[in-house]
Amino acid sequence: MWAYVVRRLLWMIPTFLGILVINFAVLRMQGPSLSRELTKATGGESGEMNAKLVSSGVEAYLVRFRTTGLDLPALVNLRGFIGKDEVAAWLRETERGPGVDDAARDRREKELWMAGRFLVAPLAAVLADDALAKLHGPASMALSLCAFYPLHRGELERMAADEARARGERNQALKGLRIAYANDRGDGFRTTDPEAQAKRTAAVEFAARHAAAFAAPGDRWRAILGETGFTLFLRQLATGELWSTERQQYVFSLIADRWQTSFGLNLLAILIAWMVSIPLGVRAARRVGSLEERASGSALFLLWSLPSFFVGTLLLHHLCTDHPGSTALFPNRGLSSPDSLWYSTPAYLADLAWHAALPLLVLCYGSFTALSRYMRASVLDQMSSDYVRTARAKGVSEDAVVWRHATRNSLITMITLGSELLAALFGGSIIVEYIFSIDGLGRLLLEAARSQDAPLVMGSTVISVGLLLVSILVADLLYAVADPRIRARYA
Amino acid sequence: MGGYVHADSLCAGQGFPKPRPGRSSAAMVKVAIALLTAVALLLVVQIIDRSREPAQLKAVLDASERAASAQERMLLELKSLREELARRPAAAPTAAATASTDAGGRRDGVPREGGNFLLAPDTSHFDPAKVGGRLVEFERPPQSLNPLLENLASASAARGYMNDGLCDSHPAHPDLWYEGLAESVVIADGWRRFTFRIRPGVVWHRPAMARDGRHAWLDRDVELTAKDFAFAIDLIRNGDVDCPHLKGYYENVASARALDDRTFELVWKESEYTNIDGSLGLTPLPSHIYGRYEDGSEIPPEKLGAVFNKHWFDEAHQFVGTGMYMLESFEPGKSLELLRNPRYWSKGLHVDRMAWDGSVVQPDAQLTAFKNGQVHFQGLLPAQYKSEILDGRENRFAKPVANDPTAGRTGAFGWERVRGTSYAYIGWNMRRPIFADQRVRQALTLAFPKQRIIDEVFLGLGRPQYGPIHPDSPYAATDLPRFDFDPAVARQRLAEAGWKDSDGDGWLDREIAGQRTPLRFRIAYYAAGTLWQNILAIYRDNLKPLGIDMTPDPIEDTEWERRMDNKDFDGMCAGWQMDLDADFVQLWHSKGADEPKSSNHCGFRDQRVDELSLQLRRTFDRDERIRIAREVQRLIAEAQPYVFIRSGEGIFAWQNGRSGPADRRDLLGGVVTGFERLHPLRNRTRLYWTIDRAP
Repeated sequence: MWAYVVRRLLWMIPTFLGILVINFAVLRMQGPSLSRELTKATGGESGEMNAKLVSSGVEAYLVRFRTTGLDLPALVNLRGFIGKDEVAAWLRETERGPGVDDAARDRREKELWMAGRFLVAPLAAVLADDALAKLHGPASMALSLCAFYPLHRGELERMAADEARARGERNQALKGLRIAYANDRGDGFRTTDPEAQAKRTAAVEFAARHAAAFAAPGDRWRAILGETGFTLFLRQLATGELWSTERQQYVFSLIADRWQTSFGLNLLAILIAWMVSIPLGVRAARRVGSLEERASGSALFLLWSLPSFFVGTLLLHHLCTDHPGSTALFPNRGLSSPDSLWYSTPAYLADLAWHAALPLLVLCYGSFTALSRYMRASVLDQMSSDYVRTARAKGVSEDAVVWRHATRNSLITMITLGSELLAALFGGSIIVEYIFSIDGLGRLLLEAARSQDAPLVMGSTVISVGLLLVSILVADLLYAVADPRIRARYA
Repeated sequence: MGGYVHADSLCAGQGFPKPRPGRSSAAMVKVAIALLTAVALLLVVQIIDRSREPAQLKAVLDASERAASAQERMLLELKSLREELARRPAAAPTAAATASTDAGGRRDGVPREGGNFLLAPDTSHFDPAKVGGRLVEFERPPQSLNPLLENLASASAARGYMNDGLCDSHPAHPDLWYEGLAESVVIADGWRRFTFRIRPGVVWHRPAMARDGRHAWLDRDVELTAKDFAFAIDLIRNGDVDCPHLKGYYENVASARALDDRTFELVWKESEYTNIDGSLGLTPLPSHIYGRYEDGSEIPPEKLGAVFNKHWFDEAHQFVGTGMYMLESFEPGKSLELLRNPRYWSKGLHVDRMAWDGSVVQPDAQLTAFKNGQVHFQGLLPAQYKSEILDGRENRFAKPVANDPTAGRTGAFGWERVRGTSYAYIGWNMRRPIFADQRVRQALTLAFPKQRIIDEVFLGLGRPQYGPIHPDSPYAATDLPRFDFDPAVARQRLAEAGWKDSDGDGWLDREIAGQRTPLRFRIAYYAAGTLWQNILAIYRDNLKPLGIDMTPDPIEDTEWERRMDNKDFDGMCAGWQMDLDADFVQLWHSKGADEPKSSNHCGFRDQRVDELSLQLRRTFDRDERIRIAREVQRLIAEAQPYVFIRSGEGIFAWQNGRSGPADRRDLLGGVVTGFERLHPLRNRTRLYWTIDRAP
């Protein structure tokens, strides 16, 4: 038995990592998007942009990408192996010309500017080569952006003052290295800067002087797996430093603030759903084929087909709205009254129950159908088995047959259904929290997904995947506990 | 073995040979269970009781903190009264001195070179007898209030209540300027050098954290100086500071210096009209806080930018300004409470406290809460406007009356249409040969039933837009060619442009570059919501009889960005959020026509527009600016690169007196009787509310 548990636990590690890698890759698929940043920067939604704000430059946005790791490749970093020829070819791909696909050109340029420290040396090599004079303008631009590493506070706390000053001075020097150039559809790259030669020499010198600061020997090997968006994410996850830029807060403290509300609500909803569905299922199984069974079945399916956002809104409109002369039956928001802090505990609990009644109703009515149908099928299955016939034969009353024998054994199958319970505790109440204005995890997740807050989505994915894996394990163990045959197999 | 276990469990469960326990012992078991349950319940109640204690304790502490702060506020109020009394005899000479510095100048608020032109602050709305009350609204507070890093609209709005700029622009006339934190400004060197005289005696708010003992160094009066403005510019231009949206504005600054404590000089590299906005609208940054670590020691300059990005003061959720409200409490994303600043240098609003509640976000939930009297005002969605007001589902809203825009004000809930500064349009990709001809684009507008769409899709909310400038702007031209809906003229224009149905398939076509090309295109729209879907359905029905084959093309989030960045569309639906100012370079200058991410996504090119739009940036004379701006609008309207649709309007509803049930009224802390003055452009100005003080 223990060997089984240990083996299952060990298997969870690669499964967990695998799920994280896939999630991370999907989130990163679209890559860093400047125009999203711009749209967000205007505070507008629905694609409306503030005309004045769209005009700021790429460099300013690099600050954001460098400090959040969005500039790093998602899973494998091979940038250390890019040489002079590759980078020259890359630069040529960013040239405009007749028949050039603007979209691809634009993407390549963005990638080049983001690429960062490993490209400083090859770009300097391009600048040093007289034969590549045409590329000097864009190369100097790319160099000044690849070498740009703004300080951020996490680093700063670990960094000596001298080093910080050196970095600051490097960043200041970069703008002076840019050779002005034009990139037209007609002529492509064309240097327009009268000081091109001086800037070029300065850029080459700059790269040589700071070579060690940008790429020390051996760095490129370490970077292959060690300097990627994913490893940065894992590091932040391990240290608890996963930071939501959207919300300016640590992801885990956001979750810690809210988990109790959602867990409590979902736990109650699940308990109610089970406590209602099991007797319903058993009753349906006993009266199978009767008018009552068919009616209750249809009613349940009708309920099941009503979407919860619809029912929630209806309840809000009809049971939670005050009218002149009459106060609503139920409160319209939250889980407690504004001054409930000063109620006695029983009154506080009653207040809580009053607030939670409608949200709980909306949360659980949908699961009545599925659960009771499973239960019904399962009980029916048991009722036709040999031991039930034996029990009946020895004169056990019908109630005892159903409740003690059939129901108990049917519950074993229900345990499998329970494997998703823990995960549901975490994110099961998204819509209800949204409609009834309850500040829990569900609403947090909904808003994170809407604003594409990747760290928050990833942070909660980690937790809910963890819970899912644990609850599958627990369900399997319970299965073994409940069914001696399984226990025997692993004994 | 399995079989054996099974049999065993059968026997153990209710095995028939075993004797059943007696009835009395069964009752005992039940009693025991009941007792145990009762004990468990009591325990649970006890545990909950205990767990609520820390929160209760905190509430008591907070209340006493608030009481202390109220007391302190009273003292401050006294102090400022005393200061004002002390200043009073000196008032006359000061005025004379100011007058002498701007000799010969007219102070009409219109920027000019040499001499102060600022209007004195307008405090005519203010009546001390009306001060009081607490105003509550559903507005989600931002995550941070940092003046440079957080630029969400809600953050700017909150900061607008708490801090002022050097000067204050008129909400409806972007070219009229009032005094703000600067008493005077002198513009020189061809509109490049701005010298401000900072108002004396303005004191930074004292942050709430100053009283907690650990930040005693903050517990003092700090006067606003010119350094605070230079500090703001320095940080904006600091490469490490993460504020791209501001860097664009101040790229062109040559220097920003505090000449002395009361003189601030801002010099720009080029002589451009945008310098005025950038200079006069500048807000100060408290250098006595953002220049220091939490222990009060100074941050070395090379680390300043990086430290600023995650500053301890922001992480403590604090904000200080010099404005009419002070921050009392702030929970990012959840709640924000502002309190009148008793030492405000000007007059401000009547409301004593303002609260933002971010706990209700779902629109229906917000409307329900509004009806239950939990907030003072609320914006309605078009669908809510239709069901609640037009269809009359809620009789506490007064019915609309034709030709009487104020009819809605009378119900238990008042409502009124308010104007926004955005406009919606359909843009044509002019790089596509079929849209290259101006007559085709005009025909496409002629086929667009603008008024019908405003009436049916927008439920009458909005005014038809004919050009690229907001109709309320002083720069707006009123004589633009309109191309109002007229299928017959549209057909004629298309025929002039050479489009006819030559193969008899029902669709127009034309020879383009040797190829027979049908007039067939797709219009991309952002797939969220049904608004554009409805507009395009109506448009499509109107294009079909003309022989134009249009297909709506819904596009999701990320794909939308890619397509717009790469100009990969025939037609596209979008909107621009505008200022009332006129500037055409970014949207209409041809230099952006081929740039991948430029705002000129339609590829508009017109040599005359290029010249005029650059000329406008270098022109400072108001009448000349208006003349140029109107000419540009005419050129653009004639070319019809967009089907301009409508400028936005919304529904704004408020509590009209005692509408809620009596026991809920106290939630609002004194009930509203309505507003005195509400500017239509809500985001650009302040609401002047009066709240009844509870009798």
